[in-house]
Amino acid sequence: MTDVVVEDLRRVFRVPVREAGLGAAVRSLYRREHREVRAVEGLSFRIAPGEVVGFLGPNGAGKTTTLKMLAGLLHPSDGSARVLGHEPWRRERDFLSRITLVMGNRNQLQWDLPVVDSFEMNRAIFRIPRPEFEAARDELVDLLEIGDLVTKPVRNLSLGERMKAEIVGALLHRPQVMFLDEPTIGLDVTMQKRIRTFLGEYNRRSGASVMLTSHYMADVLALCERVIVIHHGRILYDGALSGLADRVAASKTITVRLPDGRVELSGYGHVLARDGGRVTIEVPRTDASRVAARLLNEHEVSDLTIEDPPLEDVIERVFSDGDAAAAEAATAPVPPGPTG
Amino acid sequence: MDREPGIVRTYLRVGTLFELQYRVNFLLQLVQSLVALGTAVAVIALVFSYTDDLAGWSPYELLVIVGVHVLLGGVIRAFIQPSMQRLMEDIREGKLDHVLVKPADAQLLVSIQKFSIWQLVDVVVGAAVIAVAVVNLDQRLGLLDAGAFALTLILGAVTIYCFWLLITVGAFWIVRMEFVAELFNGLYQAGRWPVTIYPTWLQVSFTVLIPLAFAITVPAEALTGRLGGTMVLAALAFTAVIVALTRWAWRRGLRRYDGASA
Repeated sequence: MTDVVVEDLRRVFRVPVREAGLGAAVRSLYRREHREVRAVEGLSFRIAPGEVVGFLGPNGAGKTTTLKMLAGLLHPSDGSARVLGHEPWRRERDFLSRITLVMGNRNQLQWDLPVVDSFEMNRAIFRIPRPEFEAARDELVDLLEIGDLVTKPVRNLSLGERMKAEIVGALLHRPQVMFLDEPTIGLDVTMQKRIRTFLGEYNRRSGASVMLTSHYMADVLALCERVIVIHHGRILYDGALSGLADRVAASKTITVRLPDGRVELSGYGHVLARDGGRVTIEVPRTDASRVAARLLNEHEVSDLTIEDPPLEDVIERVFSDGDAAAAEAATAPVPPGPTG
Repeated sequence: MDREPGIVRTYLRVGTLFELQYRVNFLLQLVQSLVALGTAVAVIALVFSYTDDLAGWSPYELLVIVGVHVLLGGVIRAFIQPSMQRLMEDIREGKLDHVLVKPADAQLLVSIQKFSIWQLVDVVVGAAVIAVAVVNLDQRLGLLDAGAFALTLILGAVTIYCFWLLITVGAFWIVRMEFVAELFNGLYQAGRWPVTIYPTWLQVSFTVLIPLAFAITVPAEALTGRLGGTMVLAALAFTAVIVALTRWAWRRGLRRYDGASA
């Protein structure tokens, strides 16, 4: 059983281009030049029911384009995708009734109307029977603690409040698959945490599968056991979040606390920070346990931890490796045969 | 399609409740309607101070046209224009996504998203003007005439809706379409007179390009004993064609939207 099956999905955009200057502007009036932008280049993955997958990549990596294709908003240029057994871009009602798409930078609620009225409109659109609607609404409003906000017009809400209301509105029909595009963008840390906790809780209660993009690694760490990292429209990594560091990070950091803060530790590895008796050393990944053992043997150590580098650094490393590989591929001689 | 009536009902109810908060708009609208009506009547009086008959239309017959013009204008500004202007913005700003992921007809959702119910004052005023004019007409009005009037008026409203949507859908290709609202309101003023008073090229334009003839003159003809069965059929056929054309253009536009948004 899989909720999402994606095979070699591709999307090419044709965008008009013109150079700067009057001459080019005039020329473009009668002869438009276009450039092809390959936003998504052959993605394949599957998502099982109830799975929460983090979809990571820098701006322009193709994350939103992919989510839009899976939610039925865009037609792929090539490849196939099935969500809950449907081809998304056919936008069949049965399909649309079982998914939801939340975009952090867009609002779906009616701007001038009180929040409850927008919920009411969704009830009519999704044809949710009244008792189920009220149960879902009350549960969600309660979970996100927006009881006192729902009678206010959307335009009077703060960004965080609006996002919470958006999420309630997007879940009233109890979707089985959720596509969340930067749901915490622009929110303060407390609000991000609130929404994150809610999404985790909702996933546990409903068993809905979630595909989430976020630039906040805390979201990913808190919610996703699995991540798909894409860059330039291609998958660089697909697997357990915990395996990402093993795969790409060449180093680990060892932090030791020593009663004697003057001990010189540069012989053990690259000293990253020193704060009194607390010293952080970066060591090659494969040497980490050996170095730790040596430190414990040779010094009086009151505390020692071995950690992966922060997720931000790991991800950045994935992207830069990806860039290097792309550059290598671009300079390498092209093998004969069909190209994609 | 069985869920659509429920959606329309909910949207209407929510939109009405919202507008009812702004009661001062009612007074403003009433004043505006009466001033506009007064001007229209004064112009007719002025014309008929020089002549007894304008291209075969008597003063009260022309008043029927004024009434239909005011009534339909109210319908347009209450139900059609607000949603179309919102749609134009949404297309330009790429904000149609939330409509397209809903399990309901997208054209319906964008067409009922906003109402200005106070504009319905014009519908009432227009109906009153029509009533006054019909009572003062020489010929008696039969049931068949009233039926033909109601039918052609509904067809006219549908035609105007399609016309608006066709133009709005143009925003998928041409980004700036705001001027169209102004242009339409300007041209709509021409509908205050029977299209038969205009030169042929304008008559054709007001029939095919901007369907003022079918929307205003034809219903007025039904009330003034000028309308034959052929014209009713023509109005039906014209409405069917423009509905189909609008649907087609909407679908093309959505495909274009699909291609443009990233």
